Amino acid sequence: MSAFFAGVGVILSLELRQRVRTTSWYILLGVFVALILMVTVLLSFALNGFGTDDNGAAGVYSTVIYFVLLLGTLVAPALSGNAINGDRDAGTLATTQVTLITTGQLIVGKFLSAWITALAFLVAAIPFLVYAAIAGRLPASTIVVSIVVLALELGVVAAVGVGLSGLMSRPLFSIVVTYLVVAALSIGTIIAFTLGGLALQTTATQTSSYALEYDSAGAPTACSAPEEYEYQTPRFDLFWGALAANPYVILADAVPTAYDSNDQPTDLFGYFKLSTRMAQIPQDAGYSYGECVVGESEQYPDAPSARSVIESTTPSWAVGLAIHLVLAGALLAGAWARTKTPAAKLSRGSRIA
Amino acid sequence: MPLERTVLPAPSGSVSSVMLSIMTSVEAAPIEPERSELAPGGIVVENVARSFGEVHAVRDASFVATPGTVTGLIGPNGSGKTTLMLMLASLLQPDAGSIRIAGHDPVTETAAVRSQLGWMPDVLGSWPTLSVRDTLSYTARMYAMDKAAAAARASELIALVDLTELADSPTRVLSRGQKQRLSLARALVHDPSVLLLDEPASGLDPVARGHLRTLVRRLASEGKTLLVSSHVLSELDEMADGAVYLSKGVTASAEALARSRATARPWRIRSSDVVALRAALVAEGIEEAAIATDRTELLVALEGEAAASTLLARLVGAGIAISTFAPAVGDLEHAFIDLSSEESK
Repeated sequence: MSAFFAGVGVILSLELRQRVRTTSWYILLGVFVALILMVTVLLSFALNGFGTDDNGAAGVYSTVIYFVLLLGTLVAPALSGNAINGDRDAGTLATTQVTLITTGQLIVGKFLSAWITALAFLVAAIPFLVYAAIAGRLPASTIVVSIVVLALELGVVAAVGVGLSGLMSRPLFSIVVTYLVVAALSIGTIIAFTLGGLALQTTATQTSSYALEYDSAGAPTACSAPEEYEYQTPRFDLFWGALAANPYVILADAVPTAYDSNDQPTDLFGYFKLSTRMAQIPQDAGYSYGECVVGESEQYPDAPSARSVIESTTPSWAVGLAIHLVLAGALLAGAWARTKTPAAKLSRGSRIA
Repeated sequence: MPLERTVLPAPSGSVSSVMLSIMTSVEAAPIEPERSELAPGGIVVENVARSFGEVHAVRDASFVATPGTVTGLIGPNGSGKTTLMLMLASLLQPDAGSIRIAGHDPVTETAAVRSQLGWMPDVLGSWPTLSVRDTLSYTARMYAMDKAAAAARASELIALVDLTELADSPTRVLSRGQKQRLSLARALVHDPSVLLLDEPASGLDPVARGHLRTLVRRLASEGKTLLVSSHVLSELDEMADGAVYLSKGVTASAEALARSRATARPWRIRSSDVVALRAALVAEGIEEAAIATDRTELLVALEGEAAASTLLARLVGAGIAISTFAPAVGDLEHAFIDLSSEESK
C-alpha cells in the first residue's frame, strides 16, 4: 500500500511542479483574490444598510463561500480537463506508462494534483472567510462544514475533469464537457427541477361550501351545496432529487442551521436549506372548505415552522453529495479502464503514444 | 513457400520464428547464448497480430532478438513497425500470438517486463517546464528509485548523452537532436536489459550519430538486447547485427531474405579511365546497355559476392586502374528495396 502511495507521490509532485512553475497560474490566483476582495468589501457596505450587524456579516460569509464555489468550479475544469489526454498529445503519457507507475497511481496522482490546485483558490480566500466569520459571529460548525463541503465539491469537479480527460481523446473536448457537467449540476439541476415539477402536475380538488344563513350569534346555519373546484398543482416533490445534486444546494443544506426564537433560520444558508427542503413535501392533493362544518373554516393548515420542515425532511445534501461522489468515482474508474495498458481497445483515431 | 501475402488470415504456424541475419560486419554475432528455457532473455515474438477495427496493422510478426545483439527493424512507412514496437513496449495488447521480453509476457507480467525494458519512442515528448536533470530524476523515481539514487542516476546519464551544459535548462529549449538524446537517456534510466529504440538517429548531427552508434554497440557488448527501428538504413547497417524486415504487418521469411541476398544488386566501380573500364566490362560479357553511368562512376548489376570478386580480379588483371569497387547500396537497403518491390508485385 505504501508502495502505491509512493508512486502516487511521484506523479503528484511532478504534476504540481509543472503547474506551479507557470506564471499564468499565479496571475489567475491574483485575479481571483482581487475579485473576492471586491465582493467582500462591496457586500459589507451593502449589507450594513440592513442595520442588523451580525446578519449582514453572516450574509457576507455565505456569499464569499458561494463565490469561491463559483470561481472554483469555473477554474477547476481548465486545470483538470486535459490531465490525461493533454499528456497523450504532448507525448509524455506513454513514457510514463512504460515505467513501473501503474494506471491507478497515474490517475490518483493526477486527480490529487488537480484537486490541490483547485484548493489553492479556497486557501487564498481564507482571509476573507475568516473576516466574514468573525464579523458574523458564526458558529464553528458552520465554518468547518461549509469549508469541508466546498473542498469536497472542488474535488468532485477535479475528478470529473480528470475522468473525462481519460475517457475522451481530445483535450479541448474534454475541457468543454467538464464545463458542461459543471453547468448541468449548477444550472441544469435547477432547470430540471423547475420544468419537471411544472410538467408533472397533479389534479387537486377543492370542495367549498359557503354559508347562506347565519344565526344570531353569527354562526352559519345553512350552507350552499358543496362546489367542487379542480386545479393543477406542480409536483416538485418528485424532482427534489434533481435539486439535491446542485452543489450550491448541497453546500447550504449541509451546514447545520441555527434557529432564532421563532424557529426561523439565522443565516443565508438556512433559508436556502428551508426552501429546498420544502420541495420535498408533497403539495396537498386538495382540501375542503365548509363554513357549516365546525372548525373547517380554519382548515388551511398552519404553515409548519422552518425547524419542523428541516427536521422532518431528508437531508438532501447527503443524497446530493453521494450522487456527486458516485459520478466522480465512476468517471475516474472509466478513465482508468480506458487508460490501462497494455491496451486492448483504442478509441477511434487515438494514438497511444 | 512462395512469398505471397495476399489474403488473411495469416498463415498460422507456417512461419517459424527466425532471426533474419543480413550479417553486415565481422564484429556481428557475438557468442550466441544457448536459448535454453532457463535463460530466455531478449525478445521473442511469435505470430503476433494486432488490428485496429478494419485496419490490420500487424498480421503475422515473428522474430527473435538475442541478448548481446542489435537487431534492426525495417520496413516501409505504414508497415506496422510502430504498432509492433508498442506491443513490445507493453502498451498495446496483441490480438494473437505471444511476446516474451526478457522471458516475461508483457500482458500478464507487465511490471516484470517494464522493469527490464527501456523504450525510446518516436514521439519526442518531454515535460516542457522541467529541466533535463529533473526529467531524468523523475523518470528514475517512477522506477521506484529513491530521491538520492534518482539524482545520482540522472547525473550519470546527463554525462553519458552529453547534455551537461543543458542539464538545468527546461526541456522546451532543447533542439530536436538534444531531445532525442534526452529520450535515449530516459530509456536507460533503470539500466534495462532490453532496449527498444524507435528512430534513435533522426535529428542527430554526424558527431552525435557516431556517439549513438558507439553507445549502441557498447550496450550490446554489455549483453543487452537492442531492437532499433530506423529509416536510415546505411546507419542501421553500421550498428545492427541483423534485421527484421516488416512489410504490411508481416515479417519477411528466411527464404525471402535468402533470395533477396542472391538477387543482382548494383556495384559501383570508379576508375580514372572510364572509357577503358567500360570496354573492359563489355569484354567481360556485360551488355553495354546494362552499364549505368553515375557521374564518373559506372554501375553494373552483379549477382552475389562471388561474382563481384571474380569481376574485380579480372578487371585488375586486365590492368584497369580501379579506385572504388563497392556495393552501390548497403545490405539492408538492398533487402529493403528488393523485398518492397517483390511485395508490390
